[in-house]
Amino acid sequence: MTPFLTAFFSGTAQGAIYALVSLGLVLVWRSAGVVNFAQMGQAMFTTYIASQLIQHSYSYWSAFLIALISGAALGALVDLGLMRPLTSRKNSQLLNSQSMRTTIPVIASLGILGVLKALAGIFWAGEERGFPSPVAPNAIKIGDTSLAITGFDLFVIGVVFLTLVLTTIFFTKTGMGLAMRASALNPEVTRLSGIKVGSVRTLGWAISGIASSLAGLLVTPRTNLSPNTLDLLLIIGFTAAVVGGLSSLAGSVLGGFILGYVISFVNVYSAPENVFIAILAFLLLALFIRPQGILGSKEVRSV
Amino acid sequence: MSKVKTYKVIGLRSTLLSLILFLFFILLSKQFEPYNQSQLANIAMLLIAVLSITLLTGASGQISLGQGAIMAVGGYSSALLVTRLGLSMWLAFILAIFISALFGLFLGLAAARLSGPYLAGTTLVMALAIPSIAVRFETFFSGDVGLSVDYGMPPEWLTNLVGEISIEEWSLYVVLPFTAVALFAVLNLLNTRTGRTWRAVRDNEVAAALAGINIGRTKVIVFVCASGLAGLAGALYGFRGLVAPSVYPTDLSLTLLTAAVIGGLRSIGGAIFGTFVIVFLPDLIEKVTKNFAIPETVGIYLPALTIGLLLLLTVILNPRGAAGALEHIRHKKKH
Repeated sequence: MTPFLTAFFSGTAQGAIYALVSLGLVLVWRSAGVVNFAQMGQAMFTTYIASQLIQHSYSYWSAFLIALISGAALGALVDLGLMRPLTSRKNSQLLNSQSMRTTIPVIASLGILGVLKALAGIFWAGEERGFPSPVAPNAIKIGDTSLAITGFDLFVIGVVFLTLVLTTIFFTKTGMGLAMRASALNPEVTRLSGIKVGSVRTLGWAISGIASSLAGLLVTPRTNLSPNTLDLLLIIGFTAAVVGGLSSLAGSVLGGFILGYVISFVNVYSAPENVFIAILAFLLLALFIRPQGILGSKEVRSV
Repeated sequence: MSKVKTYKVIGLRSTLLSLILFLFFILLSKQFEPYNQSQLANIAMLLIAVLSITLLTGASGQISLGQGAIMAVGGYSSALLVTRLGLSMWLAFILAIFISALFGLFLGLAAARLSGPYLAGTTLVMALAIPSIAVRFETFFSGDVGLSVDYGMPPEWLTNLVGEISIEEWSLYVVLPFTAVALFAVLNLLNTRTGRTWRAVRDNEVAAALAGINIGRTKVIVFVCASGLAGLAGALYGFRGLVAPSVYPTDLSLTLLTAAVIGGLRSIGGAIFGTFVIVFLPDLIEKVTKNFAIPETVGIYLPALTIGLLLLLTVILNPRGAAGALEHIRHKKKH
């Protein structure tokens, strides 16, 4: 196996997971105008729930399903319990200033992240634990040469592909998906045409919760699970979303795969300790060359 | 809100307030045993970093989740100057301010183009990437092991003057003058024309630009000032014993932001209060929970949980923090 193909295959599998994280971030950004820094904290929490269920001898798939449902519930809860009251309060003196309206939700999401991490530590002792995968992580062989891709990698790529197809169908073929796109584009007009913009927003948070829970379930068989393991995924997902365009769903997926290849090629051709610096350099480069992202539109970005 | 005061009055008031803070810390330290004296020194140095957030987020509306990384820049530059070039600690601290400010200039040039979540995310990536540079260039920065530096021993003239002092007290004496000067500088910056310019940019960029303010340049200047402060705090923080990537984790950046928010982003008194909370609250919780039979894992995570909840409640109920609540009560009494 040449190093190039090794990097390519592992980049595809990693990129699929980054695409999910970045998709989750963009969903919330488009529907609520908030970058949710607690997103992978929520995913960490639901992955712990799945892990507990599996330890209590539930099957992998029922735990998988419950994790996704609790991901949706947690996302909706964050919106209803925190973000909606926060952004609807217009009379607050602090929120009157332009810059603080975008800053306060960021701080709130960091608060949620801190609370979720501490709760996970209290409930589940906080030590690193493994997480099972439904497919054995053995390299696939064709004849005698083993490929640099494992059965689990194929499983990840398959699940993500299925999710992306379902998301596309949801946004292009269903009324609810159309309502979400409309309210992201112009909330006032959408409200006038009789759509409950608030509920649509909560739905955006819930779908984002499902996408990030899925990312948590798919990444932890490789990285193990602890309150802090998914932090890195958030940073990579954010970079992917900015590279692809925070305002574009397709862009976020593209950005995820690009980041997957960048990280995997840096890992193979350079050294693992260069990864963080590569991410920072890549993010700054993207912001300088094309601040609205590859597929983003210029107007939507509020600078 | 506030009347425009002459520079003389502002300067006098800033000097007085800084002196009061200095004396307050000294008097407080006399009541404490060594452990709490070193905690007090921690407060004095972290306060400088929290003040940098008061400038950045409170006064000019730019968010940074990477102040810990700038502290690392200050820490590494001072530690390298002392261990490699044999400079005196005091000179190294002052040079660290300039090196971090220069770093802040580059950062500001990039950040002036960003706002809100873009800036938050980019600085968060920076908080993770910068300490990893120390591991990447291991021969120069000593990697994960880090550089051992300390405040040294109290000089003879001081022990002659005030009698024997502990190492913990000495660390407080080293840090406090810097804290007082930093407070003086911040008070002056915020209460004069500079601060008014920053607040104008924060509240409405278009209006500020129409009033003749150069938005981009103002943002860069704020970043330079805030980075200088954070770098100084990082240098003092590192000289407690070790400058290493583990001393400046991502969580440090978030803790500093928490302190600023809990106390009140727009208030210097709030910054002082918030710093006291994040340093002393974990000790207080430990003291209280010792009396109850609480499992060990709960005890470890209880401070983080309390501080996280405190941050959330502040943002939801009273985004202006403790200082804002105090002002609200005072306002009510008047009417």
